[in-house]
Amino acid sequence: MSLLEVSRLKTYFYTRRGIVRAVDDVSLNLERGEALGLVGESGCGKSTFGLSILRLVPPPGRIIGGKIIFDGENLLDKSEKEMRKIRGKRISMIFQDPMTSLNPVMKIKDHLIELIKTHEPDTSVNEALERASKLLRELGIPPERMNDYPHQLSGGMRQRVMIALALILNPDLVIADEPTTALDTIVQAQILELLKSLRDEYKMSLILITHDLSIVAELTDKIAIMYAGKIVEIADTLSFYEEPLHPYSEGLLRSIPSIELSHQQLKSIPGWPPDLINPPSGCRFHPRCPYAKPICAKEEPPLVKMGEKRIVYCFRWG
Amino acid sequence: MPEPLVKVENLKKYFPVTKSFLESILLRKKEYVRAVDGISFEINRGEVFGLAGESGSGKTTTGRLILRLIEPTEGRIYFDGVDILTLKGSALKKLRRRMQIIFQDPYASLNPRMKIGDAIGHPLKIHGIAEGEERKELVLKVLEKVGLSPPEDFYERYPHQLSGGQRQRVAIARAIILNPEFIVADEPVSMLDVSVRALILDLMMKLKEEMKLTYLFISHDLAVSKYICNKIAIMYLGKIVEIGDLREVFSRPWHPYTSILLAAVPVPNPKAKKVRIIPRGEIPSPINPPSGCRFHPRCPYAKPICAKEEPQLEGDSRHQAACHRIGELELTSFKEIRNSK
Repeated sequence: MSLLEVSRLKTYFYTRRGIVRAVDDVSLNLERGEALGLVGESGCGKSTFGLSILRLVPPPGRIIGGKIIFDGENLLDKSEKEMRKIRGKRISMIFQDPMTSLNPVMKIKDHLIELIKTHEPDTSVNEALERASKLLRELGIPPERMNDYPHQLSGGMRQRVMIALALILNPDLVIADEPTTALDTIVQAQILELLKSLRDEYKMSLILITHDLSIVAELTDKIAIMYAGKIVEIADTLSFYEEPLHPYSEGLLRSIPSIELSHQQLKSIPGWPPDLINPPSGCRFHPRCPYAKPICAKEEPPLVKMGEKRIVYCFRWG
Repeated sequence: MPEPLVKVENLKKYFPVTKSFLESILLRKKEYVRAVDGISFEINRGEVFGLAGESGSGKTTTGRLILRLIEPTEGRIYFDGVDILTLKGSALKKLRRRMQIIFQDPYASLNPRMKIGDAIGHPLKIHGIAEGEERKELVLKVLEKVGLSPPEDFYERYPHQLSGGQRQRVAIARAIILNPEFIVADEPVSMLDVSVRALILDLMMKLKEEMKLTYLFISHDLAVSKYICNKIAIMYLGKIVEIGDLREVFSRPWHPYTSILLAAVPVPNPKAKKVRIIPRGEIPSPINPPSGCRFHPRCPYAKPICAKEEPQLEGDSRHQAACHRIGELELTSFKEIRNSK
């Protein structure tokens, strides 16, 4: 059984301008110990997908359909009280901007103690402190920095604290939403190496949400590409980079400059991502697709299985 | 040899640290953030000169100093042979027509209550170049040039009706409408989505050819710099640690910091073998920078001399670095790092 099985998930935002279909009929599986990269551009619904799993979608957004089966149980059937026990304890999240996700008037140690005490009320403060300092040391933060306030730490340190908060209760699943986007190159490399070693050591299941295909290449086993509220392709990381199947995936890969290649001709995708209130008919990528056929504008593309591990939603392959 | 378009000599900018009233009485000593601390370089006509480094290295401050958006603490800036720090009034205004800037954030750099057409035409108004219908004609032409068509349609729109990539095109249109010679582009694509970044970079290159532009391209993203620049200067804590032809610097870095920075860039290739030397810690405070070489506390190759004496840039016109151990170290370029086991 998979750790997480999301099927036909729909999360819509009911705005004054109309209904924004941020996540529109998305299905995705994650096995235990697997690291998945959920990749897409801004506004494609990838962050909303992450928030939907934790049932933290802010209004006017609502989950209006589908199932989120986590460890055999549908999270959408849970009460708010039951969800609170799951968040942080069994599924945790790392956000992009550590400064706004930490409480500025709480010391680092108090963040950690509060989290432990909330989920494990029997733990003594001393015990909690000990666990916290052990983990922080592993993450490269000297334990004495636990007495600091968030503003006294550098950006990289703060992101390490966020990672500590996400890991301290040994969750089954960690969702990281753009965890290194706000960081400098060298600090980003430090955090990536850290996530990599943690992934190997704790066998944690990870969903890495990002716009950056370079980061995903380093860290994940599997990749899902999202465009305009839909998943367009799912593949194992190695074969994805060898041969992306969906025209959008191909376009994305061709449009990123790499430091590795000596002579590179970038190809960009013409046009802009669509407005999710009025998405294009048929395949949502068809107005920008170099391979579009008449049928692409009329019908939703079929799910096409390519081998064991690959799925693509495209008429070109089906 | 032709004269460089921009020449910077020993440029410094110190920002005073603001303190509370009590602190300023008790601590007599004034403290400064040394954002830019004595840098010199030249930009030749037609070059795309890259300025790279992590946040806080002083690259944005350098760009603003060259445009005289802020005044330097010390140093000289020559534009086309003229010392621009001596210019005042109308002479300075005239100079401003020749140099423009594109900012990082296309959401913050456009007035939300100004129509696109008015925003782009504003420089024409300020410099008294064109009025009324004539101005509109020029704006429509430049909209077409940056790929916003139909131009009549975009002319009437407001910034919130545009996507990030379209806004950055507007910012570029505004920068080129006065036919400048020199443009400072400060992280022009870092806030854009990946699929439109290449479009904006290609647009900038096309305009450079058509209008014979020279760019100072500021970016923290070395992969982007590699795509667009032909010269590069790597900054660390207000100093240039390495400078030269981009290919030279990227394929045979002389400074350990450059080599480490190159190795830290993630590559979109899961098969790439990466052996990384990642330095401990982060950029120190520019208020009290380390003695000697500013990188020495984090440098894996530091020797005693590195803490004592400040290294000067050495080398030839194609490649220079400031390191006490130039030539002694076997530094790896990104290629070798990727391929070694």
